[in-house]
Amino acid sequence: MRTKFSGILTLLLVLVVQLTFAQEKTISGTVTDNTGLPLPGVNIIIKGTTNGTQSDFDGNYSVQANVGQTLSFSYVGFKPSDIAVTASSNTINLNMEEDAAQLEEVVVTASGIRKEKKALGYAVSSVKEEQIKDNPESDLTRILQGKSAGIDITTQNGLSGSANKVIIRGMSSFSGSNNALYVVDGVPYSNDTNEASNFVDGNMGTSRSFDIDPNNIANIDILKGLAATTLYGTEGRNGVILITTKTGDSKVLTSKQEIEVSSSYFFNEVASIPDYQDSFGGGFNQADADGWFYSNWGPGFYRDGLGGWGSFVNDANPNAGFNSDGTLAHPYSTSSFLASNYPDYQAEFEGQRYDWRPRNSVENFFRVGGVSTLSANMRGRSEDGKFNYGTAFSHLDDEGFTPGNNISRTNLTVSGGGKLSNKINVRGSMTYTLINYKTPPVATSFGSSSVGSGSSIFGDLFYTPRGIDIQELPFETPDGASVYYRDDNAIQHPLWTVKNARFSQKTNRINGFAAIDFNITENINLLYQGSIDTYSEDNVNRQNKGGRTGSIQTDSGFYDTYNNTNTINDHKFVLSGNNFSLITDWLDMGFLVGATSRSIDFNSIGVSSNGQQVFDFFDHSGFINQTPIEFHSKRNILGVYGQMNFDVKNMFYLNFAGRNDWVSNAVNNSLFYPSASASFIPTSAFPGIKSEYGINYLKLRAGYGTSANFSTGYPTVTLVNLNTQAWADDAGNLITSNSTASSGGNLDIKPELFSEIEFGVEGKLFSRMNFDVSFYTRETQDLIVGSRPIPPSSGASFSPSNIGKIEIEGLEVDLGLDILKSDTGVNWNFNWNFTKQRSEVTELDGDTQLIIYAGFTNLGNGARVGYPLGTIFGSRIARDESGNLLVDGVGNYVSETIDEEGLLPAIGDPNPDWVMNYTNTISYKGLSLGVNVGHTSGGDIYSITIASLMGRGLTTDTEDRLGTYILPGVSAATGEPNDIQINNSDFYFSNGFASPADELSVYDGSVVRLREVSLAYTLPAKFLEKTPIGRLTIKASGFNMWYKAYNTPDGINFDPNVAGLGAGNGQGFDYLTGPSSKRYGVSINATF
Amino acid sequence: MKNINKISIFLFLILGMTFTSCETTDLDLLDDPNNVTLDKADLERYMVAIQLDFRSFVETMGRNGAQLTRIEYMFGRTYLANYTPENTNFEWGLAYQGMFSDIVGAELLATEQGQYKHLALMNVMKAYTLMTLVDFYGDVPYSEASNPSEFPFPSADDAATVYAGALTLLEDAENYLSLGGGSIQNEFFYDNDYAKWRKLIGTLKMNAYLNTRLVDSGALGKFNAIVNSGTYISSSDDDFQFRYGTSESNPNTRHPAYGADYGNSGAGRYRSNWLMELMLNNNDPRIRYYFFRQIICTPGTIGADGVACAPNGPQLQCSQQAKPPHFPADMTFCNVDSGYWGRDHGNDEGIPPDSFKRTAMGVYPAGGRFDGDDFDFVGIGQGGGGAGVTPIMLASWVDLMRAEAAMASNNTSAAGTLLQSALTKSIAKVQSFGSLDATANSSFFPSSADVDAFKSSVSAAFNSANTTGKWNILANQTFVAYYGNGINPYNFYRRTGYPTTLQYNIEPSSGDFVRSFLYPADEANTNSNIVQKPNVSQQVFWDNNPASPAFPFAN
Repeated sequence: MRTKFSGILTLLLVLVVQLTFAQEKTISGTVTDNTGLPLPGVNIIIKGTTNGTQSDFDGNYSVQANVGQTLSFSYVGFKPSDIAVTASSNTINLNMEEDAAQLEEVVVTASGIRKEKKALGYAVSSVKEEQIKDNPESDLTRILQGKSAGIDITTQNGLSGSANKVIIRGMSSFSGSNNALYVVDGVPYSNDTNEASNFVDGNMGTSRSFDIDPNNIANIDILKGLAATTLYGTEGRNGVILITTKTGDSKVLTSKQEIEVSSSYFFNEVASIPDYQDSFGGGFNQADADGWFYSNWGPGFYRDGLGGWGSFVNDANPNAGFNSDGTLAHPYSTSSFLASNYPDYQAEFEGQRYDWRPRNSVENFFRVGGVSTLSANMRGRSEDGKFNYGTAFSHLDDEGFTPGNNISRTNLTVSGGGKLSNKINVRGSMTYTLINYKTPPVATSFGSSSVGSGSSIFGDLFYTPRGIDIQELPFETPDGASVYYRDDNAIQHPLWTVKNARFSQKTNRINGFAAIDFNITENINLLYQGSIDTYSEDNVNRQNKGGRTGSIQTDSGFYDTYNNTNTINDHKFVLSGNNFSLITDWLDMGFLVGATSRSIDFNSIGVSSNGQQVFDFFDHSGFINQTPIEFHSKRNILGVYGQMNFDVKNMFYLNFAGRNDWVSNAVNNSLFYPSASASFIPTSAFPGIKSEYGINYLKLRAGYGTSANFSTGYPTVTLVNLNTQAWADDAGNLITSNSTASSGGNLDIKPELFSEIEFGVEGKLFSRMNFDVSFYTRETQDLIVGSRPIPPSSGASFSPSNIGKIEIEGLEVDLGLDILKSDTGVNWNFNWNFTKQRSEVTELDGDTQLIIYAGFTNLGNGARVGYPLGTIFGSRIARDESGNLLVDGVGNYVSETIDEEGLLPAIGDPNPDWVMNYTNTISYKGLSLGVNVGHTSGGDIYSITIASLMGRGLTTDTEDRLGTYILPGVSAATGEPNDIQINNSDFYFSNGFASPADELSVYDGSVVRLREVSLAYTLPAKFLEKTPIGRLTIKASGFNMWYKAYNTPDGINFDPNVAGLGAGNGQGFDYLTGPSSKRYGVSINATF
Repeated sequence: MKNINKISIFLFLILGMTFTSCETTDLDLLDDPNNVTLDKADLERYMVAIQLDFRSFVETMGRNGAQLTRIEYMFGRTYLANYTPENTNFEWGLAYQGMFSDIVGAELLATEQGQYKHLALMNVMKAYTLMTLVDFYGDVPYSEASNPSEFPFPSADDAATVYAGALTLLEDAENYLSLGGGSIQNEFFYDNDYAKWRKLIGTLKMNAYLNTRLVDSGALGKFNAIVNSGTYISSSDDDFQFRYGTSESNPNTRHPAYGADYGNSGAGRYRSNWLMELMLNNNDPRIRYYFFRQIICTPGTIGADGVACAPNGPQLQCSQQAKPPHFPADMTFCNVDSGYWGRDHGNDEGIPPDSFKRTAMGVYPAGGRFDGDDFDFVGIGQGGGGAGVTPIMLASWVDLMRAEAAMASNNTSAAGTLLQSALTKSIAKVQSFGSLDATANSSFFPSSADVDAFKSSVSAAFNSANTTGKWNILANQTFVAYYGNGINPYNFYRRTGYPTTLQYNIEPSSGDFVRSFLYPADEANTNSNIVQKPNVSQQVFWDNNPASPAFPFAN
């Protein structure tokens, strides 16, 4: 087409040349974009004539014009400019300026259709390439944090490659997943997190969204509301993150070829090391540390004066108390454990002394990790523009700050497309990803060893008493078993854990699609797209024998190897049409009908062994016991959908959509759900209200959307649990049992229905300010409770059921302001987003009063009528009738586990009151400074990190400790005000961390965070003129550089962005599951 | 022509997709590939599950009862906070979701196949479980239980009705035993000796009558009728108990208390100071079988070698503290001589590094080590390797039950004789466990003279004591003999209020003693037909003693 057109133009020009030879001159030049790259296809017209030309693939043009005429340059997405031809102008080079306003208005919606933003009746947030690439954080999900209102991202901890959750507009369900759907280039992309075990025993595993290479992303559009996501079906009910990759971008490339290379190196440091005090050491009740306590309530590191070690000098007995030189017997010389199990080894320590002084053991435990990335992507197209290709390669090596933690990622993408004839287009893309993830074990700890059967690298680390030298105390006995300071050796030495325990996961993933477009007529298109996304995770979870978890299986050495394979097959047919002018030409109509099938097949298979025979030999043949690991699940979803949209005079837009889904794992398996939305542009309808320094643009929108969630697993069948190892007789023969499963099937289980009403207003004011405000209410009905607790006396403990209702309302505000704006000077852009949201459980059925759906049954997140979803339920301090706190006979709080209604009391609400993010971008010529600050207000967290560090007397918060304390409250016995004095350890230990009242470990998780800072410098184009480089940017940046959880004790440096319950629906819990990370470094990005 | 080509390309694609995606469009995937369905259930496999659940139920309920009666140590100062609704979810689940629902399935199969022995055994286990549930909770679901389609939210039956129902189950069991049917493939208790099962049925009835003697004037008559019939457990050969093995994992067949104490980090549980001091003071020959000491001296006491050792605050906080003012001067507090290192009832202090110091469970009943003055550290695999028992109904206990019945009928001399008989059987049984520990220092096995001396001292004390004293002695000896299963002692204590000399709760305002347990949270939170009790002071139907705190005396 273009060739023909230019041919005609050339012909015309030839005619013109012949006619007007005498007055003409030839003007030539190069047109480039704002980044200095050549712009092909720019229309250059001589004003007032029909004469003109187009720039070629290198941006060069040549045109004949008379002096005095004006050349008019225009190109989609750029501001048009006019340049007059003067006598001296033989060469006119033009650097075209991008028209930002125009670009922003196009977003990707369902089925990959690009639409003008003004036509949408719902909220969509876009995140641009610049905000994503070359980020110190290698995990795309974490990069998205704070970039838009309404999106909440929780990371499990700061370990490289640890899991994430992405919740958009809050949790709507407590049984199904609440994670948003990732769609990459129009193809659903699995974001599973397959943890090594449950949160208690092994909270390790990567979320599969980590597989995405952030440097190959061109743009992300986030669909938040249900009106926006209806067409994505049940999988899109939690919002959709639409990713357009550079290689998968179907937009016509502006240049013949573009190569982008970037490389970066970042340091990765632990961000949340507590401020330890150095005045007091291990012990309890301020007494000497005979036997070496976990707690740090021992004598001072000073000799004389109150609390000093001087009062425990006992030179007569070297094994009790201090010698007058300030030393103690070496812990290994007195250890009962060593005496019992390794007397010969203990003899090596006989007579050794141990200095009584503080050590920076925890600080020294961590290392500074390094994150290096190299990525290159290349895109291009054929001369005639009919064929295009793309390829991207990237490699990341992310070394965690914790010894033994590392993740690497390699992506290779090949894509291409072509116009087979005028009416058929074929596109396709395939990406291969390889992830190697390695981490020491992470498991739940209550601040004295891990509670389950797994080891935990952090579980025993942070509360190390100040006198203990992790690095100096040997961590292994001659036969390789863990040894540590405490008399009974009941916890594992962290260095032993690093050396002998690890979880690793090697993931091979292939995802890609092939699509054919058939333009039946100019207005009607038929699309078929087939895609596959399959990953295979090879997991190895292992530990040498000699560990100290207390679980005999773990401590005997274990070796689990298993493979998880997940395959998503997705097909869709879409017939769409647009730009039908109906009735009159002021009404435009479009439609879309589609059918899709999606199949998700998950298989896990492997072997778990324990009873290691030879230390450090990991092969199943070297272990005594083997049990199989096996799990299968398969689910098919069929969907049929349709959409109609109307455009009235480009000022009023209406959109109707609906979808019906069928799923394979229920009898009652079909649900239809519709949506409707409208937008109105007053500035188009009444141009009079528009002015440059008043309202530039205004849009009002309203939407109603619905979606469905279907139960997962196999909810309709009642099963029998077969146990082939139920018992063994004296001869060791295994005996098999079967028993009815604790969960009874429910044939009537049906989908839960989400519905949402959303109103919004968007606009531009004063040529400086953008705003986008959304208000929504959402309701979930027929809530599915996958394992709804039912009375055990009925015969089963759980049954999948539809009960209850949740109501959510929320407000989202995005605001952009150009504080300074100039073409040549300083530009300062300020962006602010705000999210406020409230949820409430409004109905449960009459028999169910409380459902604890995450965590432990006596301490977890629950649903109870009248309470926000996610409320933390647990034990509290007992109160008398007038609400006074009750104190027992020795001055400690009494706890209770039933409230006035006989239920587990509510002790906290993990949902924040509001979340705000501020982004400042200041640029001056090639320099650009970006600062992103996040502020979350409210949101409770049950924190074992805080509780154990306070309770064990480790941080500066507990340094002032020599007085006595009286708890506010009344005596449980007499009702009189409490007057019992207690000491420091009772105050902090028995009435915090160790108290049976969980309430005492709940803290407010408000936090202010300097999430990102970056300073970038783009070299002026003239420096690069003689090089092949089109653009070169050097950027220094940092991630999570500073934060303050201002309502938690100062010295803890607690980071509330942790997920102690893993990637599921739990929230507001921290079980010493890990510190956060801080990253900073430099990147270089060049385009050719 | 061109268009036709294009259309055929599309048709081809559509067909291709249809063929390849049959699997992806199948909408009938209801069956769980990971588990077997109900129709594949098997009677013998059900019997294994039911017996194992029954064993766990008795073991865990026995521990609850033992902690309340100071046979075991109780952590936590107030009763209400210690026995929360969440606390017994597991036990309740074992009974209803485990045993009872399996019995529903198994009964169908057994009836179909004419397997009456199976039916009889299920009835016995269910009857004892139901009675125990009543003893601990009061009114519990029975007639509407385990029938989800009709009663998704079962109501609780009146406790007395449940007891009557349990007795009917026992009678039916007796009948079933005469109806034939094959033996049970894996019978863990009596190895298919049905004469012993008959004796057990008689004994369980006696147990029920004794429990209800305060509210049923005819109960003791029925009790004695069974004694006269002779169909009850009178010889230790007929003891009803579950025997454990020594396998550490896949499956772990060791006694749970052994698993807790014989790990590589030292002993996991504390022993009760009260019980250890009682047995030490009485020169009880069972003490070396019950307890294994790791060290020779508890801080602030006289060691086993007669040498005193100093109090040690860090290791044993209370050794540097004064006895609580509400404790009588002669009451056990904090530490016991001769290296017996345990804890006081209710003590909730943090756990010092003393797990290689505290006294561990011995060879009886958990299959640990015999204490031959070794003063050695515990470790994995030591002693009997965990091949102990959970005693459920013993011949010695039956004598104690009969002694109580005699005391209640003011026949103190018969009571004294039965007490002696009980001690003989109990000590003999306990001593037989000595051989489980191959490394035991047999020179410390008590001689028959030691045993006789102990028995006669108990006899002398009993004969010279007044009624209260006699009750206290009977109660103390009952508690000692029931080491390993506190279900009956808990009932005994609420029935009689003895011993009054039991160690007090260390917390003066501990709240009322647990007269019955709160309903488990799993049940109360999900079943509107079960109303949670306001506190733990509610008395079960056979307990017509004064309300707490007046009763029992040693709260």
